[in-house]
Amino acid sequence: MGDHMTLTELSEASACPARTIRFYIARGILDGPNKAGRDAAYGQEHLARLERIKGLQDEGYTLAAIRGALDPAPLIAPVATPVSAWWQHEIAPDVMVWVRGEMSPWRTKQVRAAIEEFAGRVRVPEGEQPKERKK
Amino acid sequence: MTSFGPVAAATAAPIRLAMQRLWLTGSVLAAGARLVVQHVFRSDEDHPVEVIYAFMLPRDAALRAFRITGEGFEAHSELRPTEEAVKAYEKGIAEGSLSTLARQYGDGVVNLTVGNLRPRETVTVYLEILAGVELRDDGFRFRFPFTLAPAYHQRMRAAVVDGEGEWELPADEFGDVMLPRFRKDASELHEVGFDLSMVHTLPLEEVGSSSHAVKVKYDGTEPARVALAPAKDVPNRDLVLDVKFKQSRAQVLAGPVEDGKRDFAVVAPSTVFGRNPEEARRVVILLDRSGSMAGEPILQAKKAIEASLAALSDEDSFGLMAFDDSAEAMHAALVPATREQRELARAFLKQTNARGGTELAKAAAEAAKMLAGSGDIIVLTDGQVAGTEKILQLARSSGVRISCLGIGSASQDRFLALLARETGGVGRFVTAAERVDLAAVDLFASIGSPVASGLSAGANVQPAAPHAVFAGVPVLLFGEDAGEGIGLNWTGGSVHFDVPEGDAATGEAVRLLRGARMITDWESRYPSEEALAPLEKRQQSRVAGRLLELSKQYRLASREMSLVAVIKRTGDRGGELPEVRVVPVGMPQGTPFHAYFHGPASVVACSAFEAQAPLMSRRRVGAARPEIRNGASMPDTPAYMRMMVTKQPAPGADGNDDLVELAAMLEADGGMPGNTPGIRAARSAAAVFAFVQAGHTLTAGAFRLHLIRLAGYLRSLTAGSAEEKRMIETALAAASSGSAPVGGWVALSGAAGTGWREIEAAMR
Repeated sequence: MGDHMTLTELSEASACPARTIRFYIARGILDGPNKAGRDAAYGQEHLARLERIKGLQDEGYTLAAIRGALDPAPLIAPVATPVSAWWQHEIAPDVMVWVRGEMSPWRTKQVRAAIEEFAGRVRVPEGEQPKERKK
Repeated sequence: MTSFGPVAAATAAPIRLAMQRLWLTGSVLAAGARLVVQHVFRSDEDHPVEVIYAFMLPRDAALRAFRITGEGFEAHSELRPTEEAVKAYEKGIAEGSLSTLARQYGDGVVNLTVGNLRPRETVTVYLEILAGVELRDDGFRFRFPFTLAPAYHQRMRAAVVDGEGEWELPADEFGDVMLPRFRKDASELHEVGFDLSMVHTLPLEEVGSSSHAVKVKYDGTEPARVALAPAKDVPNRDLVLDVKFKQSRAQVLAGPVEDGKRDFAVVAPSTVFGRNPEEARRVVILLDRSGSMAGEPILQAKKAIEASLAALSDEDSFGLMAFDDSAEAMHAALVPATREQRELARAFLKQTNARGGTELAKAAAEAAKMLAGSGDIIVLTDGQVAGTEKILQLARSSGVRISCLGIGSASQDRFLALLARETGGVGRFVTAAERVDLAAVDLFASIGSPVASGLSAGANVQPAAPHAVFAGVPVLLFGEDAGEGIGLNWTGGSVHFDVPEGDAATGEAVRLLRGARMITDWESRYPSEEALAPLEKRQQSRVAGRLLELSKQYRLASREMSLVAVIKRTGDRGGELPEVRVVPVGMPQGTPFHAYFHGPASVVACSAFEAQAPLMSRRRVGAARPEIRNGASMPDTPAYMRMMVTKQPAPGADGNDDLVELAAMLEADGGMPGNTPGIRAARSAAAVFAFVQAGHTLTAGAFRLHLIRLAGYLRSLTAGSAEEKRMIETALAAASSGSAPVGGWVALSGAAGTGWREIEAAMR
C-alpha cells in the first residue's frame, strides 16, 4: 500500500470499516484525505493513526481522550467537565493518590482495582518506616 | 427569510438536527405489532452529511423493509446479505449517491444510516418493523423504544463530551455499531409521536399508557386508535401502551397465505390450562444493585422483595442475593421462609445500596448453584447490560428457570423477555413511574408451580410450544394450518382450537410475526464474536445458516441480512466525503446521568482508602417520575374521542403502599401477627377484607398468593365461638367472590390490638 489509498483500500488495510473512518474524520481524530473529490487519497500516516487509535481504545481510552492524547494542541481537555471534588487516598505513609469525585461506578471500579494493586506494590512492611532520601 | 426550523428554547438560536422527527404508526394485534416508523432527516449544513440513527429493537422484532422518499424520488429497500448490503452502500457513498442502510447488530441494536444527504435536503425513511407484545391473561402491553438505555459492559468506555454522555463498546465484540450520545435534557432533540390502530377480536375494557399522554378513539366496531395527545414529545423514554380486554379467553388470529393454507397465531390464557397446584417453592431472588438502579427503582425493588417473601410459607425455602460487579448472598444456601429468616432478609436489604456494574450472568450462576437443579430464580433488574447473547448462553446452560422483573423507562425489554423465555421463566417489564413492588408481587404469584407442564403442540406449530404455563401468562403459538386445527396436550389435559378463515392482511401479519420471533430466538444464540467472524468462517456456523434461511423465507432482516437502497440523483458528485452525524437521544427518564457518565462533583471529601470507602456511595441525581398517566375506559357503543391527562398518583395515594406493607407482615403460617390466637385470627380476617376491597381475589390480582395463604390459615383454625367462625366464613367467601364489606380494613388489620369485637363493629 502506498500513499494513494482510496477509502476502501484504507479500510481494508486497517480492518476498520469505512463508515468508522468517516466518523473519526468528523470527530477530528483522523485527518481527512490528502486530496479532495474523486482524487481523495489516504496515506501511510492515516494507516498509522488508525492503528494508534485502535491501540488506545484497547487500553480503555474514549474517543474524546484519544483526540486529546493524539493532538499536540487538543481542542478539548481530556477531562471534559470542571472538577470540583477529589477523593484523597493515603495508600502508604509516603504515598497519596487523588481520584476525581463523582465518577461513574464502572470507572470507579476500574480505578479502585488499580489503586488496590498499586497499594499492594508500594506497601511498607509492618514495623518499617518509609526510607527517606539521604541528604 | 422565514424559517420553520427548530430553535433552542433558551437562546432562540437555530438547532441543527440531522433527524427532525420520528413518528410511529401501524397496527397492534394481540399477537404482536406491524409498525411503520417514519424518520425525517434534514440537513442544514453546507456539505453532504451521513446521518446515523441508532435504536433498540423491541421484543421479538425484525425489520422488514423501508421506503425512502425525497424531492422527486421514491425508492424501496432491497434485502441482501449484510456484506453485500454494506458494499452496495459504500459504493453508493463513493459515487455521491443517496445511500441508506438498515443494519442490525448484537443486543438488537440497529443502525439506520442515511449517507450523502445534500445541503438543505429532506428525506423521509419509512421503516417497517414487526414486534412482539408482552402478553397477560386479560390483555397485553406494547412497548416501543424512543430512546435506548446506555448499558454496562466490562470493557465499555464512557465520557462526557460537550456536556453529553458518550458511550463506546469494544469493536472486537460489537463491530462498527454506532451508539448515540445521551443528553440530560431531551427537549431540543427530534420530536417523537405515534398514532396506532389496536386490532382486537375481544371487546376492549381499557387502553392506557403509563408513559405518554394519549388520546383514544373507539366506537366499539372499528379498531381503536391510540395517538399521542400533545402535538409532539421528546425521545427520553419508551412508549408503553396497555390494552385490557373485557374477558379472558383464547384468541385465534388467522388468514390465508398460499396453497390453501392459513397462517395462525393463538393466544391461550393460562386459565385454559387450570390453576396453580400448591407445592413447596424453592426460589432465589436476585436484586440488581448496579449504579443505574439508584434511587426509586432500588427502593421499590426492596419493598417488593419484602412483600414477595411474605407470600412464602414454612415449607418454602428461599435465597436472597444482591449483585453488581460481584454477587453477595444473604446465606450460602437456601433457608426456610420462617419469620426469623425474613427478618434477616429485611436487614440484608436495608444495607444494600446501588453501585457498580451489572454482572448478571455471574450472579445467576451463583443462584443456580444454590438451587442445585430445582427451583426458580427471580431477577429484579433494569437489564442495562451489553453483550446479552453471552449472558443468555450462560443462563441457558445453567438449566434453571429465570423469571425477570425489568425496571426502567428505556427498553431492555427484548433481552429480559428472551432471558425469561429461553430459560422457561416469566418476564414482566415496568417503567420506573409504575409500582415496581406490585408488579413484583404479581410476578411472584405467577411463578413457582406452573399451572400446566409437559406442553406439546401439533407439528404445524412453530416455534415449539413452551414446556410450562404459568398463572396469568398466556401461551402464544404460531403455525400454519391446512384444516386440521391446533391441538395442544399437557400432563393431565388437552385442548383443540379451530382456525377461522380470517383475512389476508391478518394472515400476512401473523406469518411475519412468526418469522420475527424465530429470527429473534436464533439471534439470541449468536455470540458476538461468532457473528463478527469473516464470512467464510461464518458460513459454517449453524446459527448464521439458520438466520440466512429464515431471513430469506420470511423476507425479514437479521444480523445476516440487511436492508439497503442506493438512489442516483442528478448532480451526484463522487468522491465527496460526507460528514458523519450520529443522532443524539435523551437519557432515559429515571436513569441517573452520573450512573454512566462523569460529571461535575458536588461533594468534597477526604478519606483514607478503605475497601468499602464512600467512593461507591451514590445519590440519585435528577431522577424524575413522569408526571402523567393516562387512560381511557372503553364504552360499549357511541363513537367518541376522549383525551385524558391525569396525574400519576403519588406513592401511597392509591392505597397500594399500605397493601404492600400488609403483605410483608404475614407470618410463616399465613396468618397476621398478634399476641393472642384471637387477635391473629381477627387481624387475618381484616387483612382478607383489605385485599379483596382493593380488587384482589384468590385467583386474580397481584396479592392472590397472599390471599391464598391467609385463607389457608383461617381454614386451619378450629377454636373460637360460633360468631367468630361465622366471620371467618364471611372472610373466606369474600376471598373467593371478590366482594368485601366496606370498611377501614387496612388500618384494622395493621393495628396490633384489633380483635373480633372491632371486626364485628366494622362489619356492622
